[in-house]
Amino acid sequence: MEATFLLTLLITFLASFIGYELISKIPQTLHTPLMSGSNAISGITLIAAILIYPEVGESQLLKIIVLIAIAFATLNIVGGFSVTGRILEMFKKND
Amino acid sequence: MIEIILLVSSVLFIFALKLFGRPSTAHRANTFAMLAMALAVFSAFNFDFSKYDSTFYITIVASGLLGVLISKRVQMTQMPELVGLFNGFGGGASGAIAYVELSGNSLPLSDVFVAIFSMVVGVFTFSGSLVAVMKLRGKLNNFNKKLADIFSVFLPTIILIPAVLEMDDLLIEFIILVALIAGIIRVAVIGGADMPVVIAFLNSLSGIAAMSAGFIVNSIILIVAGALVGASGIILTLLMCAAMNRTLVDVLKGGFGGTDVNNEYDKDPISTSPEDVAIQLSYAESVVIVPGYGMAVAQAQAAVKELTNTLKDKNIEVKFAIHPVAGRMPGHMNVLLAEVDIDYEDMYTLEDINSEFSSTDVVIVLGANDVVNPLARTDEDSPIYGMPILDVDLANQVIVIKRSMSPGYAGIANPLFINDNAKMLFADAKEGLENIIKSFELV
Repeated sequence: MEATFLLTLLITFLASFIGYELISKIPQTLHTPLMSGSNAISGITLIAAILIYPEVGESQLLKIIVLIAIAFATLNIVGGFSVTGRILEMFKKND
Repeated sequence: MIEIILLVSSVLFIFALKLFGRPSTAHRANTFAMLAMALAVFSAFNFDFSKYDSTFYITIVASGLLGVLISKRVQMTQMPELVGLFNGFGGGASGAIAYVELSGNSLPLSDVFVAIFSMVVGVFTFSGSLVAVMKLRGKLNNFNKKLADIFSVFLPTIILIPAVLEMDDLLIEFIILVALIAGIIRVAVIGGADMPVVIAFLNSLSGIAAMSAGFIVNSIILIVAGALVGASGIILTLLMCAAMNRTLVDVLKGGFGGTDVNNEYDKDPISTSPEDVAIQLSYAESVVIVPGYGMAVAQAQAAVKELTNTLKDKNIEVKFAIHPVAGRMPGHMNVLLAEVDIDYEDMYTLEDINSEFSSTDVVIVLGANDVVNPLARTDEDSPIYGMPILDVDLANQVIVIKRSMSPGYAGIANPLFINDNAKMLFADAKEGLENIIKSFELV
């Protein structure tokens, strides 16, 4: 238990570090698509909603709240990627 | 099997971020990220799709369709609002999940802390983002600052509550309420031109909320992706702050600008006409255009493109100088220019173009103000002192297209406007440009 937690923490630090290193080099021109792309990625919290949905039990209220989370996260993911695609399409055509 | 899918997904997310680094590969980055997301979501089902009822699937499909619909309809000038809105949804989702985990299960104390943290950050991101969207739409003006300061002290202490009190539903709901109000008030006190920082910061928070949700449900991929988003958001936040020579705390404190420190001009500006500008431009060899928020408000991108074409046809060199905080989100101006097919090779950053202004014939300042205010270099008492600016005053001639002499966000006069080499074309950005283009036909 202890070891897994430390490992998880290590992964967290490594991921943050990689994220920081990769993004530091991104030119200003791409700040908006980066932002809307990473915004879409933050909708990955959908996974948590999927994991807990079968386990909410009898409570209707909790079920509704998980459904709201699912709706929000899906909107975030699908809308975010779709709009990022639109933005990047504009950068592609004058390549 | 699931582990392998998740490994591939994590690697794809990291590759996607790397590909985002160059305009030529960025469109592939989005495909990679989408693929990574699809794999991650798929893995969450653990090959058992029968555990989920029809309400679940209908919710996913309906909100997915709604997302596509919204994203296709929105205009490029509304991009900051849209990113803010989606961001709020992401944060809200994480907050809701944390709430369900807190009230539905008896979690170990360490998880209770993480869950409360995730809930507070998520809910704060949700309400803060919605307020940011309202501010961006001009629906909300500045707010009582003292109230916000009280709340900001209150918020961190909330997270410590489980250390002293037994959690019950009422307490959880109280915490949600505080986080909601804190998000609203905190963003409400921050002025519109600081929105690039706010949007980037909220973006980072939504990643952090997702990451901590990953800790509660033990999902490595959620932690990895959340951390990547958190880190990228923080970088953009700090970049935006550096571009204004202010700290994040200072920006979040709000109440910047709007005070008339020095609004007086000791002489009248030289005003000019579209015809004169056209003549002046036709004799130039090099032109630099400095777009600002005014260009976005007036939807003047198409007119900018037309003027650029006109000038290029006359073999005049045209470049764009873009300040990092121009507009309402990081990279806002670049996207608007890309929308009208302006080559990103022609868009220059502050560092790349500042040395060139002294050899530029004509600079057109289009709806920008504080980012070209020379007081940032000279006046130590000015609120913008030390902020890196575009040194347009060093150019041979400067034309400022602006509706009036009113100050920018910082609320201070801009001596550039009364400089000997500067002329004012009093017009809305779009209308001004269109009149110049028309005059070209007569020159």
